[in-house]
Amino acid sequence: MLSGALAADLAVNGLVTGLFYGLMAIGLALIFGVLRIVNFAHGEFYMVGAYAYTIIAARLGVPLFVALPSAFLFGAALGWVVERTLMRPLYANIGSWGLMRDEYAVIVTFGLSLLLVNLVDKAIGPYAFRAPALVSASRVVVGPALMSGQKVAAAVVTLAALALIALFLRFSYWGRAVRAVSQNRLGASLAGIDATAVSSLVFALAGGLAALAGALLSPIINASPDVGAFPAIKSYVIVVLGGMGSIPGAFVASLLLGLVESFGAVLVSYQYRDTFGLVLLILFLLFRPQGLFGERGREV
Amino acid sequence: MSGDIRLRREFIATSLLLLVLALLPLAMRDVYWLGVLVVSAYFAILASSWNLLAGFTGQFSLAPAAFAMIGAYGAALSAAYYNVPPLIGLLIGTVSAGLIGLVLGRIVMRLRGPYLALTTLSFAEIVRLVASNSINITRGDLGLPLEPWFNDRVIWFYVFLSALTFVICGLYLLLRSQAGLFLEAIRDDEIAAARSGVRIVFWKTAAFAISSAAAGFAGALYAYFASLVTPELGLVQQTGLVVSMTVIGGMGSLIGPVVGAFLVYVTSEWLRDVGGWQLVIFAALVIVFARLFRAGLWGLVITALAPRRKLA
Repeated sequence: MLSGALAADLAVNGLVTGLFYGLMAIGLALIFGVLRIVNFAHGEFYMVGAYAYTIIAARLGVPLFVALPSAFLFGAALGWVVERTLMRPLYANIGSWGLMRDEYAVIVTFGLSLLLVNLVDKAIGPYAFRAPALVSASRVVVGPALMSGQKVAAAVVTLAALALIALFLRFSYWGRAVRAVSQNRLGASLAGIDATAVSSLVFALAGGLAALAGALLSPIINASPDVGAFPAIKSYVIVVLGGMGSIPGAFVASLLLGLVESFGAVLVSYQYRDTFGLVLLILFLLFRPQGLFGERGREV
Repeated sequence: MSGDIRLRREFIATSLLLLVLALLPLAMRDVYWLGVLVVSAYFAILASSWNLLAGFTGQFSLAPAAFAMIGAYGAALSAAYYNVPPLIGLLIGTVSAGLIGLVLGRIVMRLRGPYLALTTLSFAEIVRLVASNSINITRGDLGLPLEPWFNDRVIWFYVFLSALTFVICGLYLLLRSQAGLFLEAIRDDEIAAARSGVRIVFWKTAAFAISSAAAGFAGALYAYFASLVTPELGLVQQTGLVVSMTVIGGMGSLIGPVVGAFLVYVTSEWLRDVGGWQLVIFAALVIVFARLFRAGLWGLVITALAPRRKLA
């Protein structure tokens, strides 16, 4: 049924995929933690990052270590602008939505997603863009598995980025401010934390991370206007599994989803592999809305 | 102004709009543009049914396109495997979408805001993925062909317009009755509504089922019109169009989704010749309307008319 070698190969590949999911999902979890909304345009930040990297690296001939951070910065800038212009009614009592702030958030982020997809489709074109390779090695042996060099290089950068984020959230002033606002916005404000700035920071960070994910994966999955839909759906599943707003939860759930998909495709059904995560999402929201690690008592 | 008068005014305005539309084929017989109007009417039914959930009950589902697809497959599968005549196929499509909506509505009853949106979005994606991957039953992305019901586009236009009229009248009667009050009470404050004796579970589930059945009805009708059913009907982008139309036209009003659907779809076909930036423009409009004019175009019309009324 499953030989040891195949199982090890599936495990390594699943974990690597999970790392990429993590880069996407942590931004979504940060946004949910601070603003209590789901950003339905999250995949479009991924798409924008993939294009930014491809265009900067291929057209301008800029070296890799400049092109990747530029993609991050581009996504972060976009995130910041979006937060400043569209997310303020969520906490500043602007506009007439009142009790329907959740609905406003869904409409606006959904509209933003449509806007970015169609804008790129018209401005750049609907065809896929081939990005320059991250490394020249085509095949690398990782423990028991054989993987493409692109995937390994992307995984190494992803690990580094995740470690940096963890350190930032754990030890820096702004990292602690982010955690304080996600625990209690009013309390944090009373303690002198600028909750508005934290909201902007979180959106910029999430946009940057999603853009970085798009940039890192663009040599493997070519940039196209709708390339973000798939990673976005994965990250929705992950934030629900990990407990909405929980960062460690999102990270563990990312690895878990990577493994479930990698093994499920072989053991259960290849045809329906993309539905597993979605079924899990619904089951979790119904029976364990706090996720694997989230705290109880949050209103659903 | 009381809700009753507001609703009646919206109903009268919608009726006038439908009447104007019904007269269109007298002046215009272009096959292509009649097709555009048919698709607009399809979207108007979808948007109106979604508006019942999102605008009047406060349940923000992201699955209207999925229910249209379920209705379309209900009709197409029963026609392909059991040679069912169109009227029965239409009924099967509507009822299957309604029943699935009833079950889903009952399940997601407790969920709100982002949780409801995520669950319904996942449901929509699951249904679409199953339809496109169950190749031996549905032929996957190739789609299921159907015998067209009629070939004359004028007849199709009137069929769709009557269907839209039927749905609008149904919604009007529903919202004008006590049920309308219950639904709006649930939207504004669920707990207060429950304390006042509104049967929350019943009404929320009923709204979900009715909305889904209407979407399935539109989908089944569209299946006979297009004579091909593909999983593309259930794409999230289709839901995006439905949401855009409703928000631009005016969420929570009877006429808003109808105006939005015809305006967005007809203009976007019209702008297609001018470079195809229409979807960019409409997506931007959705954001602008949501951010600044929550009541949509219809709300703008009302506020533009209101001061004059005071002077008179």
